[in-house]
Amino acid sequence: MPLPEYFQFQCRTKVIFGAGTIKELPNEIKILGSKRAFIVTDKVVRNLDFFKKIEDILKSSKVELVGIFDEVPVNSDIEVCNKGYKIAQKRESDILIAVGGGSVIDTAKAMNILVSEGGDLMEDHQGAYLLEGPLKNLIAIPTTAGTGSEVTFTAVIRDSSQKLKISFISPYIFPNTAILDPEVTISCPPELTASTGMDALSHAVESIHSLQNESITDALALHAIKLISENLWEVVYNGENINTRGNMLIAANIAGLAFTNALVGCVHAMAHALGGYYDIPHGIANSILLPYGMEYNLDYCNRYALVAKAFGINIEGLTDKEASRKAIDVVLKLTKDCSMPQKLREVGVKEEGLNKIAEISMYDGSMLNNPREATVEEIEELLRKAY
Amino acid sequence: MAYFKDTEQFYSILVPFFNDLINNPEIGPKVLASGLIIKFIYHNPEAVIIVHCPNSEIIQGDREEIKPDVIMSMNSDVAHRFWLGKVNLMAALTKGDIRAKGPIPKIMKLIPIIKGAYAIYKDYLKEKGFEELVNVE
Repeated sequence: MPLPEYFQFQCRTKVIFGAGTIKELPNEIKILGSKRAFIVTDKVVRNLDFFKKIEDILKSSKVELVGIFDEVPVNSDIEVCNKGYKIAQKRESDILIAVGGGSVIDTAKAMNILVSEGGDLMEDHQGAYLLEGPLKNLIAIPTTAGTGSEVTFTAVIRDSSQKLKISFISPYIFPNTAILDPEVTISCPPELTASTGMDALSHAVESIHSLQNESITDALALHAIKLISENLWEVVYNGENINTRGNMLIAANIAGLAFTNALVGCVHAMAHALGGYYDIPHGIANSILLPYGMEYNLDYCNRYALVAKAFGINIEGLTDKEASRKAIDVVLKLTKDCSMPQKLREVGVKEEGLNKIAEISMYDGSMLNNPREATVEEIEELLRKAY
Repeated sequence: MAYFKDTEQFYSILVPFFNDLINNPEIGPKVLASGLIIKFIYHNPEAVIIVHCPNSEIIQGDREEIKPDVIMSMNSDVAHRFWLGKVNLMAALTKGDIRAKGPIPKIMKLIPIIKGAYAIYKDYLKEKGFEELVNVE
């Protein structure tokens, strides 16, 4: 396999895996030298059984639980981050604990910038590589297996006043520690399990076809694909299985590591546009668009045979293109097997809006990493096929 | 060794090039329509150029009274390679080769617009007698 002349791979997060590992939380807080924990979560997660367990674990330790902020919505907002920050600051917390999905973890990352540096998120911190040093401590406990946000160095938060997604990019944003406890994801409902799992798959596949792909991200992405192919269907229909839940958490985690370094391509560019314009959940948009995005790239990317192989398909004797087609077919089949929507029209997208979605997609930074240099006309055609 | 020998040479190449771009009938009107004020801070050699879209103006050097919407800082070599079409902006932002303060999506909107500028920059360098700056890795 040809090697890139140069690449850099970043990860600052310690990852702890295992059923019941949330009991490690007080010890991890102690290792980081913190004593006053502040939990960031959402109202759904707060009402789940394991959340009470986390509270009890902290209360029975030497760590002081100084507050809980449970107002994070499905798509977080700058105002939410500001509100959470003010409460955490008032309670003099020295560590944030994010318990939730990607929105919760990204909110905690943004809050941590404010808790550590002060200032105003929009005026002082939006952008790339603006932080000069480490932030205060942050531990992430993902409750879905999808975004991989617990090991990424970006936070994306919506500014509803401008209808814009605001990016914060810095290696100092990485959480210090991620606790992957499959027991925490048991209560995740089948639909959300499927869409977050497909989100993880799209992170992995897009890492493979991204122009920024390299050897370490390849290794992570391909193993993530293998784990997803072996476990996603099972976990959607048998969510109680700790082993499959654990495999999916690991898959999402390593796919997160892959894409935060290799970046993503046209599928995410379109999914971001659909999220902003029609509020289509990110995992569902990615799931519908992934096979179409791969098809679009087929003549410009000779790496989908790797994806087919990771799915366990015997590609012996097949041409690269034949193997690539098998990869596309198996992705499509997985979305069907998991009862995911197949077309954009099924999730509320309007045909007359496709042109606008194509236009917005072209402005997305992810498009720059796509193996095929896209035109707005081609992306509109792709969207029509997916419609 | 840096591509540009000093600040003076950097300005003598980049400022007229930026002026050519905002006057280019294909690129200029679309860039200016963004309404953005973008401050570019360059290092090695040190330089500052402000693209002031509301005033249709390219400003050489810093002007503290001007509040930019976006500040982008980078090594001058990175800037040169960018205009040659050799730098992926998104990758540069995530790897720290380019620092950005402000709304990144607004900058991303300009990328499809300025794609034609890469070829213009090459021709411009040749025309000005800086052929040695065209073929860089």
